[in-house]
Amino acid sequence: MSFLSMAWRYLKFRWLVSVLTITGIALGVALVCAVLALRSESERALSKDAGLYDLVAGGKGSPLQLVLASVYHLDSPPGNLPYAEYGKLQRDSRVLWVAPVGLGDNYSGYRIVGTEAQFFDLPDRNGERFFQFAQGKVFEGRFDVVLGSQVAASTDLELGSTFFGTHGLVEVPGAEVHRDFPYRVSGILAPTGTAQDRAIFGTLASVWEIHETEDRLHSAIQGSALLEGPQEREATAILIRLKTPGLRLWMADEIRKETDGIAAVPINEILRFQRSIIGPVQRALLIVAGAVVGVSCLTVLVTLHQAAERRRRDIAILRSLGAIRSEVASLVFAEGLLLTGAGIALGLLLGHGGLALSVGPFRDSTGLVLNPWQIPVAELIALGAMAFCGAVASLFPAISCYRRTPIDDLHLTE
Amino acid sequence: MIRLKDVSLRLGSADHTSSVQFHLPSFEVAVGEAVALTGPSGCGKSTLLNLVAGLRRADEGEVRVAGVNLSSLSAAKLDRHRGTHCGMVFQSFHLLAPFTALENVAIGLRFGARKRSNALERSTEVLVRVGLGKRLHARPDELSVGERQRVAIARAIVGGASILLADEPTGSLDPDTGRDIFTLLSKVAAEDERTFLMVTHDPALAAELPSKFDCSGLIHSARIPSGKEGGSQ
Repeated sequence: MSFLSMAWRYLKFRWLVSVLTITGIALGVALVCAVLALRSESERALSKDAGLYDLVAGGKGSPLQLVLASVYHLDSPPGNLPYAEYGKLQRDSRVLWVAPVGLGDNYSGYRIVGTEAQFFDLPDRNGERFFQFAQGKVFEGRFDVVLGSQVAASTDLELGSTFFGTHGLVEVPGAEVHRDFPYRVSGILAPTGTAQDRAIFGTLASVWEIHETEDRLHSAIQGSALLEGPQEREATAILIRLKTPGLRLWMADEIRKETDGIAAVPINEILRFQRSIIGPVQRALLIVAGAVVGVSCLTVLVTLHQAAERRRRDIAILRSLGAIRSEVASLVFAEGLLLTGAGIALGLLLGHGGLALSVGPFRDSTGLVLNPWQIPVAELIALGAMAFCGAVASLFPAISCYRRTPIDDLHLTE
Repeated sequence: MIRLKDVSLRLGSADHTSSVQFHLPSFEVAVGEAVALTGPSGCGKSTLLNLVAGLRRADEGEVRVAGVNLSSLSAAKLDRHRGTHCGMVFQSFHLLAPFTALENVAIGLRFGARKRSNALERSTEVLVRVGLGKRLHARPDELSVGERQRVAIARAIVGGASILLADEPTGSLDPDTGRDIFTLLSKVAAEDERTFLMVTHDPALAAELPSKFDCSGLIHSARIPSGKEGGSQ
């Protein structure tokens, strides 16, 4: 019988204490794993979206708000830019790809993003086409739309379906439904693992038409002056990919100077957002998790110490059978390692299992797709540190057993 | 096989406030001999047994067991020597509660020179020999006290130790069971030609062994405060 199997039998024998100790360790480890994995995965997912575009131009306001609204389909956009700016950018030789974005309506909480057909020509960083069509094709008619994969999966819309948009960027009971302007689904995108999966892409012309018509109607009802003649068309944002990403800051500066709007570098805004807002929260959580792990290691120490004290007679019996000091110490140490190992394994499972359960709600609320089973390097380091702490905690009772003289404990009763 | 000469040992009392002196001028046991260690409580019978087992070290004098001077051995070698040459049976059985009878015996083969690859087979054979062939997988708390002592005897002999040391093996048993256990011990010692030392308070059992050694007078009450008894037995 090996030391490990003997140690396992002792742990089984006092199963309640063992289970409680393992649970204590597992909770600490789960918290650490979940926080680190969530940080790593959210960074990866946020960066994946942010990396799609080099620049986002939009109305004056917060650059972060502009990025969240136009790239992640969260938050409200700060304002609009004249549509003419889009034409200028199209002609700019430094621009690889550019697409306007117009927001204003939603369907079942999913934003309807008005854009142009070349939006779907967006190349990824390897030069391949980023958007792939799972079904159908890009919109042709003015009220044709293309569904993001998640929209298609979570609504009953399919190719050829029609629906009405609702005014506003979020679903609000009683909001105005644009019943005069039915949309028709012309295509469904393949999953991209980005916030684009949660959007409905239509033509910018449809967004203008709906809102200009509604504005005229509202003006008529209120008796105010009717909006006559062609109006200056606007876009909520303009998404830009440059031929040379190194030109981002110069170009952003140019846009700020030459227009009434601003330009933001999405990846910079997201990194700043992570460092200033998400980072401190994650650090606080990590401190709490570290404290839990510390307490768990102390629990291992106390548990093993008490177990070793209760087992003084058994240790003495083993010595009387010929076991040497290092063997009985190894037995106690093996128990500690088993407790720690089981706690870490269970914690890993709980942490990532919990993350796996949160993938759906997280994707639904942010559009970011997490890989819950990805173990980042920081987590491996943390797990190593926790295993080390557990090993050190196991060492103390092992040393105590090593030092005992069997004759002192053989007289003890069970 | 066993020879102790001019052995002295200072023993502390349980509360460490006093000490007594154990002194044994001479003690010899030949190979295969069976000896009853007798004498009143606290006279040093168990101390003598523990010296032979190497569970205690002599302060002075020579303790030779199986041809080896135990004083010359390191702590680890002393443990290994005990594991190889001595099988011990205790009054309170000293079985390990989490393990079955079979496993308790097999653990006796886990350490030192007793280590064997076919530990479970060998342990089964020995348990059958002591009459527990049908109780292999019972845990100590599922066994009667007599059965527990049989498991302890099986554990003591499974590794083929040439010396069988029993410290009041019938002390916790009723007379009939005690008689059975004594018979079993004597039998396995004789059949295997093991050297057998047994501490006992029972004059009838002691009388049945070929030799007796009276331990009276081994402990010198150097400074024993009134109401306290020294020695560690």
